[in-house]
Amino acid sequence: MPSAKPKGPSPFSHWFAIGKPLSPRSRTVLTIFSFIIPLALWSAVSYLPFLWHPDIKLTISAEREGITTIYTRGDHLSREFFPQFEAGVQAENQAVFEARESGEELTPGRRKNLKTLRHISAWGLGNGYLTPNEAKDDKLIYQLWARAAGGDFGTSPKLSPENIKVVKDNWIRIQHIGDKFSSRALPNEALLKLVPQGKRSNPVYLPAPHEVVIAGYYDLFTEQRDPDDPSMWQRALHSMKIVFGGFLLAALVGVPLAVLCGTYDFFSRIFEPFIDFFRYLPAPAFSTLLVAIFLAHDAPKIALVFVGTFFQLVLVVANTTREIDRSLIEASQTLGADQRNILFRVVVPGILPQLYNDLRILLGWAWTWLVIAELIGVKSGLTEFIETQGRWRNFDRVFPVIFLIGFIGFFTDQILSWLRVFLFKWTGETPNAFSRLVASSVSAGPRWFQREVLDQRLDPLAERRNRK
Amino acid sequence: MSQDSTLPDYKRQSPEVARRFAELKERPVKLDVRSLGKTFDSAKGPVTALNDISFQCHRREMMGVIGASGCGKSTLIRILAGLETPSQGEVLLEGNAVTGPGPDRGMVFQSYTLFPWLTVKKNVMFGLEMTGNSMTAAEREARQWIELVGLSKFENSYPHELSGGMKQRVAIARALANRPKILLMDEPFGALDAQTRASMQAYLLEIWRHIDLTVLFITHDLDEAVYLADRILVLKPNPGEVLEMIEVPVARPRSADQFHDPEFLATKDRLEELIHPKVQTEKIELPIVRMTEVGDDVE
Ligand SMILES: Nc1ncnc2c1ncn2[C@@H]1O[C@H](COP(=O)(O)OP(=O)(O)OP(=O)(O)O)[C@@H](O)[C@H]1O
Ligand SMILES: [Mg+2]
Repeated sequence: MPSAKPKGPSPFSHWFAIGKPLSPRSRTVLTIFSFIIPLALWSAVSYLPFLWHPDIKLTISAEREGITTIYTRGDHLSREFFPQFEAGVQAENQAVFEARESGEELTPGRRKNLKTLRHISAWGLGNGYLTPNEAKDDKLIYQLWARAAGGDFGTSPKLSPENIKVVKDNWIRIQHIGDKFSSRALPNEALLKLVPQGKRSNPVYLPAPHEVVIAGYYDLFTEQRDPDDPSMWQRALHSMKIVFGGFLLAALVGVPLAVLCGTYDFFSRIFEPFIDFFRYLPAPAFSTLLVAIFLAHDAPKIALVFVGTFFQLVLVVANTTREIDRSLIEASQTLGADQRNILFRVVVPGILPQLYNDLRILLGWAWTWLVIAELIGVKSGLTEFIETQGRWRNFDRVFPVIFLIGFIGFFTDQILSWLRVFLFKWTGETPNAFSRLVASSVSAGPRWFQREVLDQRLDPLAERRNRK
Repeated sequence: MSQDSTLPDYKRQSPEVARRFAELKERPVKLDVRSLGKTFDSAKGPVTALNDISFQCHRREMMGVIGASGCGKSTLIRILAGLETPSQGEVLLEGNAVTGPGPDRGMVFQSYTLFPWLTVKKNVMFGLEMTGNSMTAAEREARQWIELVGLSKFENSYPHELSGGMKQRVAIARALANRPKILLMDEPFGALDAQTRASMQAYLLEIWRHIDLTVLFITHDLDEAVYLADRILVLKPNPGEVLEMIEVPVARPRSADQFHDPEFLATKDRLEELIHPKVQTEKIELPIVRMTEVGDDVE
């Protein structure tokens, strides 16, 4: 019997080997993909209209007779509701026609007509014929009508054939006013309304990537729109002050306490049970209390981060301290170390690498309290921006700031993780590839400067050395 | 054990060896262990680890402790080091009762226990600094001990850069730097490979020959016990009690050639008998019916 042919390695065996680390290259590839996949999903949902797009985003809107909810350019309507809205406006125009035919024209008055005319501003804004500041200028509005009637239907949005008819019909009735526009020259008889137009889009809360990038660029790298507001970097600094302030305070008080708890059963028994209980009390529940104690501004915010971090920190660090190799303590005792020396020359240096890691993780915790902390008392920092813009539904401006918070947290963590290897050479660890990448890209600038400028240009020997 | 009949009695000592033992017992008693007992309170009730252990260790003696796993060897040495308190009896070091750990008893653990955040030199300096030496004195002293164990080149290395044997040499240097009255070692070479262990044994003998050192060491390795020790304390388990104190009839200075001397083999044979008395008589029956396929005739 011929024995079964040995199977060659399947293409998957490399990627799915149980318990085996992948090659460094495969790891890098996967790391990159772990960021590309969500980005690709987001782009697909944003740019492929058949995937989702449950809304219609208005490019031209109208006001309905007797209906108080007013939709304007940029508003989102559901795909089910939009036709009703459109049909409503069409019916009103139809009523105008019917009245004209019956010989008794509707006379809503000049003021109403002026309002009707103003709705063309959405078309003008979209096509860039008008800046937001000019949208209230009726003379310019009139010129827009002239422009459309003259055959320029725009591109985004382009007037629909139905609206072109509306424009032509209205123009006949207002054409006579001419350059010296005055609303008093408007007719009393009803003008036609522009029929709403729109394009399919995702809900407001999911802006497309390019919208987020553009909004982020303007908010982060150009002068702020309102000069009274702090710049985004000032906001970021303020937020970092709160996170790091609360965290450092918690570490300053918590680490010594935790080391004592981990070393002496006495301190462990007298502090830890209560701390263990207290950490289940939700920190945000103390916000009003903290504001009452520390008043407004930054103090209650820092206190909230402190409350949110401190109790976890004590328990985690105490455990780390307890996990120190007992035999190291015993060895030091047989070498004559007293209590103080055991604590400061064995326990403390012995736990440092793990303590460093614990604090890194707890710093991540501190970041999660940031948003709540900045909302209490006087709103401030990045959160205040998110809050305000979110209220105005400017989610394209919200996302960059959320990402900014993420980036700050992520990069500090990666840099700390990379620094660890240099702080604790004696552990014999090497930095992981990713944090090495982050750190080297951060230090690439200074290194380039050193290599290209300091070493080359300013070093008189460099040229000779290079020639060799 | 076909050799049994040909081996001499392990109790018969050559005149030279006998003279050595007579002289040894004349020397002052370093360590006096008096009817020591230890009972642990475990979850399943009290466990008697040691019961009525008494022996004496003389100056410059090298004493081995041997016994089946779990017979209380570590417990004994930890009590001697002061890391554990005895339930009964007492330990006298040069006539003074031991009450806690201290620098007068050096300890070497099986698991190296070097401080990983300190360099070799700083590790050796640790005890010296604890006992009140100035930094410069400690450094000078530490250098000498590092040289003695042959690691001068590595004085600025961290423990993670050293091999197991090197680590244990640093641990010995660190313990000796305090000039302890006795050096206690709990399976010091147990984690090392056979070759490294052999060279470490030679090292230890060499150091012991050069300085005034009393050693008490635990081992699992019968060869090691016979090769190194003047006397071997044999313990039996449940509870840990003294079975016998064997005087090793092998002449000094020792060398690797002696592994096949009749006295050496006789002593080893006796240890074997004491520690694994039943292995030859009891047939081991595994509760396994059949593991090989029928027709796969291995017998
Ligand atoms: N802290 C403790 N609590 C309870 N029982 C203990 C404790 N330490 C040791 N024992 C028990 O005492 C007995 C002797 O333990 P010990 O570690 O001294 O043995 P040993 O001879 O060193 O063993 P080995 O050769 O495996 O190292 C064992 O039965 C062990 O379970
Ligand atoms: Mg043991």
